[in-house]
Amino acid sequence: MRVVRPNEAMTNQPDSTDNTLPAIEMQDLSKTFGSFHAVEHLTLTVQQGEVFGLLGPNGSGKTTTINMISGLTVPTSGTVKVLGYDVRHNAREVRQILGAVPQETALYEELSAWTNMDFHTDLFGIPRSEKKQRINDMLALVQLADRKNSRVSTFSGGMKRRLALGRALLHDPKLVYLDEPTLGVDVQARRVIWDYILQLRSQGKTVLITTNYLEEAQALCDRLAIIDRGKLIAVDTPEHLKQTYGGSVVELETAHTITAIDKIRALQDIKEVKQENTRLIITIQGTSNVVPQIINIVSQEGEIRDIAIREPNLDEIFLRLTGTALRD
Amino acid sequence: MSRIFYNLRVIWACMKKDIKVSLTDRVFVILGVFLPVNFLILFSLFVLSGGQAPTAVVMNDTGPYAQQFYRSLAGAHSFILQKATASQAQRLIQAGRIVAVVTIPADFETRIQNNQPVQVDVAVNNLNTDFTNDIRRAVPLSITAFYAKAFPNVVTVVPQETDQYRQDTDYIPYLTVSILVIALVVGGLLQSGTSAAREWENATMKELLLSPASRWAIVTGKMLGALVMSLASVLVVLGVLIFLIGVRPLYWSEMVGFTLLTLAIFIALGTLLGTLLKQRQAFTGLAFGVAIPLFFVSGAFGPISFNVPILQVVAQITPVYYAIVLLQHAFHGFALNTYGIAANTLILAGFALGFILLSAFVLRRSTVAN
Repeated sequence: MRVVRPNEAMTNQPDSTDNTLPAIEMQDLSKTFGSFHAVEHLTLTVQQGEVFGLLGPNGSGKTTTINMISGLTVPTSGTVKVLGYDVRHNAREVRQILGAVPQETALYEELSAWTNMDFHTDLFGIPRSEKKQRINDMLALVQLADRKNSRVSTFSGGMKRRLALGRALLHDPKLVYLDEPTLGVDVQARRVIWDYILQLRSQGKTVLITTNYLEEAQALCDRLAIIDRGKLIAVDTPEHLKQTYGGSVVELETAHTITAIDKIRALQDIKEVKQENTRLIITIQGTSNVVPQIINIVSQEGEIRDIAIREPNLDEIFLRLTGTALRD
Repeated sequence: MSRIFYNLRVIWACMKKDIKVSLTDRVFVILGVFLPVNFLILFSLFVLSGGQAPTAVVMNDTGPYAQQFYRSLAGAHSFILQKATASQAQRLIQAGRIVAVVTIPADFETRIQNNQPVQVDVAVNNLNTDFTNDIRRAVPLSITAFYAKAFPNVVTVVPQETDQYRQDTDYIPYLTVSILVIALVVGGLLQSGTSAAREWENATMKELLLSPASRWAIVTGKMLGALVMSLASVLVVLGVLIFLIGVRPLYWSEMVGFTLLTLAIFIALGTLLGTLLKQRQAFTGLAFGVAIPLFFVSGAFGPISFNVPILQVVAQITPVYYAIVLLQHAFHGFALNTYGIAANTLILAGFALGFILLSAFVLRRSTVAN
């Protein structure tokens, strides 16, 4: 496919085909609205080919961050580069290599699926000789070929998301961002969208998603940035996040309510102890050998009916890092 | 070269898309087409009914002088006359159906012939100062006219009128051309402004802003879409104006050119306001809030040069004034100011260019705040 790239002949421009360039580089990025700090001093790098997730509760600054990446919002300070292009100075080039699925889908609901796709091909300068084939391919990919002449207003939420994803891929972008891709869609449609996102990874595309669904982040993302109140809290792979911030969780069910909680808290490597009647949930730092000592203390007071040791989930990590649950 | 073709393609795509989207909103399309026609009909009715005072004449004498006096009243261009008996006239004025009752006494003929003073009773419903003053001015004028006709040898002062134009222009032909201008103002503003605001309301502006297409091309395409939609309402108004009311342009090419130029101004202004307000409801309120006062201060009802100086100054800072000047020239050949057609056209073109540049600049600077 040949897409019009107005400045491609200019020699001082970065080479967007260079695989060593980071897909996204954010340096000390901030955005304020009046006295409200939506994003504060965010520094992040997303590598090419990654599925990268911005995880945070509503209002944490995720959408503002991707709006700054796409040039929809101007940063108050700091810089953003997409495949070497500075978003502020090379906005047109950035938009050419970016495929966007906004939260609201931004589809013309009064028009048919085909007309929406057709309009997108015109906006992105996809050659006329190729556009019909590409639209058909994308509609087939998102399984909407049979509804191509239907008005988008008649589509379900999941169908609209799929169509928006197909539209975003029409111009063969190197970087695809999806803002809350499964917000408001049912479980079945969510699985379908996840499959598409995983297909994008297999095609070598860089995918940036924002989500406040932990299971989505865990299922899709190679790396995650946890954002809260506009600040970067942690960035790593889901597994490393669990190892670094999670440790292990010991869950005990006893015959009677245990009173020696303080004794357990006093043990080395204990991060948190929660008691819910006869149930104890104890979080341990790393892979400590403190479990036998816990069992010893608890068994002195009464019978242990059940014991389980598991990894923490991302919800527990998020709670630990930010002090609040993800969807408070 | 490919960049030019790419921009032309974006312009065409945006225009086509906006027309398709507009056509899906049937209620709005119908409103957009018929609202200006509605203005035309309502204002015409207002002028037809409101220009002259409905008056009953009680003819207690029907002699030649009394008939001559009645004809003088009828020729005063201030009354809608009807003959009535005294009791009928009384009922009509009490019911508020007429403004005045003029009673010609039974001895009118005799007293005139005997050179005796005659008292013509005039009963006025002075609820409306405008009509009351019309009666107060027109009855004495009618008496003067009566004397001039009945006794041409006695009344020796007669006006010698020299007209600036070959024929008089009635209020209706003048006003309907002004209403064409407000049709252009409202039509242009509504089509383009709601189209721009709709993009923000439905968040489809993101699809436009996230594309590499030039903001100029997007704005141009959107304006052309609004132009096509507005032309539908303009054609209906012109049809009513030319074929029903019978007001035909003196200079057809001027009419077409000035119509398009005026539309361009208000389409650009609508795009600008729609982009700034981002909400259709707020925009529609503002559009009428802008259009109606502009219409009233811009010489829609008569040459603004006959008005108070402050109004003349205010009028000349609005494009509606120049549009009225130019379209009155196109239809009737009037020169409503001393600038000349070329200067008026240049000023109007300046407004068009300014608003187009401003709306493209505002769209270019538009961001999506969250």
